Amino acid sequence: MTFRYRWKELGLFIIPFLILLLGMTQLLLANRDQTSSLSTRNLPPVQGLIPILGLIALFLTVNIILSFFFSRADQMLLPLVGLLSGLGVLMAMRIGPDINRSTLGTQQLIWVMLGIIMCMVTLFGLRRMQWLERYKYTWAVLGLFLVCVTLVNTFHVKNLDSPTHDQLKLGPFAFQPSELLKICIVIFFAAYLSENRDILAGKGPRFGPFRLPPLRQLGPVFMMLGIALLLFLVVRELGLALLIYSLFLCMIYLSSQKKSYVFFGLLLFALLAFIGYSLFSYVRNRFAVVGFDVVNWQRWTEAQTDFAENKGFQVVQGLITLSSGGILGAGLGLGHPTIVPVVESDMVLTALGEELGLAGLLALIGLYLLLIYRGYRIAMESRDPFNQLLAAGLTSIFALQTLIIAAGNIKLLPLTGIPLPFLSYGGSSVIANYIIVGILLRISHNSALEREGLA
Amino acid sequence: MPLDVFLLILRILLLILLYLFLMQVVLTISRDLRKTAAMGSEVEARTPPVVGHLVVVDSGPSNLLPGTRFDLMPQTIIGRGPTNTIQLPYPFISAEHTRLWYRNGVWYVQDAGSVNGTFLNSKPAREPLPARPGDLIQIGPVSFKLTP
Repeated sequence: MTFRYRWKELGLFIIPFLILLLGMTQLLLANRDQTSSLSTRNLPPVQGLIPILGLIALFLTVNIILSFFFSRADQMLLPLVGLLSGLGVLMAMRIGPDINRSTLGTQQLIWVMLGIIMCMVTLFGLRRMQWLERYKYTWAVLGLFLVCVTLVNTFHVKNLDSPTHDQLKLGPFAFQPSELLKICIVIFFAAYLSENRDILAGKGPRFGPFRLPPLRQLGPVFMMLGIALLLFLVVRELGLALLIYSLFLCMIYLSSQKKSYVFFGLLLFALLAFIGYSLFSYVRNRFAVVGFDVVNWQRWTEAQTDFAENKGFQVVQGLITLSSGGILGAGLGLGHPTIVPVVESDMVLTALGEELGLAGLLALIGLYLLLIYRGYRIAMESRDPFNQLLAAGLTSIFALQTLIIAAGNIKLLPLTGIPLPFLSYGGSSVIANYIIVGILLRISHNSALEREGLA
Repeated sequence: MPLDVFLLILRILLLILLYLFLMQVVLTISRDLRKTAAMGSEVEARTPPVVGHLVVVDSGPSNLLPGTRFDLMPQTIIGRGPTNTIQLPYPFISAEHTRLWYRNGVWYVQDAGSVNGTFLNSKPAREPLPARPGDLIQIGPVSFKLTP
């Protein structure tokens, strides 16, 4: 343990803190009568800024703790993540009162704080990366166990259309185990694939001009994949099934560097998607939205209008919300994002798009890009194959999740219910994402120590 | 000041700050990259020049990753022993297995008296054989491709 103050991180934190304070001020002001004038007498109460100030204080504490114990961990991750999750808290505060859940913002704030604490716990608890690598089957079984428990709960509820059907109730907390399953699956894939990478890169059965991966050695991976996909088909979590399948493809490609595997994976995916499309009506519904013509809304037929008002309501409203934001946006607290159903979690991108505008949305995507770049950079800087695969896989979770849900929001892909990392309301997702950040920080710290010859 | 004007200013300031932050992160990243690049070139200056690479094509029974690159010095000796330029610590590689050298723009490969042999494009390289980039060099059961 060597002390080295993380000045770079502190410097990067300044603008996010300013943005959060500014956003909070705007939220407080936006509730006023727009035509009134602003004078020193009717300024918003400073107490309104307390939640954000608390968040800022927590990040500064983390900055100092990390300087003491993990001074070489990556310095750009936390400012990026902090800004994203701070904006998430602001958005929850803004949306909450409009959907009759006035404590939404406070809850999200508590989740973010718990998440940061979990991030620290992960950093301190994960003394050796080998713990993850050696007990890979334990992690896999743990993940599946969590989901099985949920499954039982699902059959208990018997209502597959309720948004909470995949939650696990532990006392006052409703917990979504699928968020943790993602991490468990990535750990398992990374450990198994890094152990068997030479076999994987070897020759498998031929199929035309392409080589299939050696199927027998990939058995455990396929089994894990199959179980996960089946589970999600049963609980109708299409988004998670998609996420896990694409994660699998990413990690296979990263460990074998063979494009033909990805090609085969996509072929198989197309086949599975087609089977799903013809078997399940809810899959067809999701796809119907993608092909729906919104631009010519003046010439909608009766059937189209009906579709836009019922099955396609959420996505069509989301598009209207986005377009009403324009380039500069309506301003935080000044739009009407709550006409979109489930705007606080799945459709939060549309709310942000309306209130921050296209410019803000592009900036957010920039933030995600930099976050993902940093994650892959951490993977590249690591020497150990397991750490490399793990960091790249965990970063892929962020990348794929952002891609799938953002594309769903803007009608490029079927909309599926997975959260936008850090911005969506939801405790388990925020905590799981912060655990991922913790693991990434730990890997970057370890590889920096190794590079400097201190470990 | 009327409130809506103030809100407009806040709104635009928020966007400007968002982009300033993006710029700051990108600048920090590029400064970092430049620093690591400078560090890399320093390391390069201290070691003899790299004139070519061997890329693992088929790792055979070893646990080498296909695609792994080994740097080639103008005089390279490959073998199991610790004194070799490229050390391959596997039982099926001889202590001194293969010699590679670079003269007048041409690579030469010769077996250094190994048990499992050295092959250039499946031809045994008992005598020095000239090799071109793209040729397959088999060292025992492991195949490499010579690249510039």
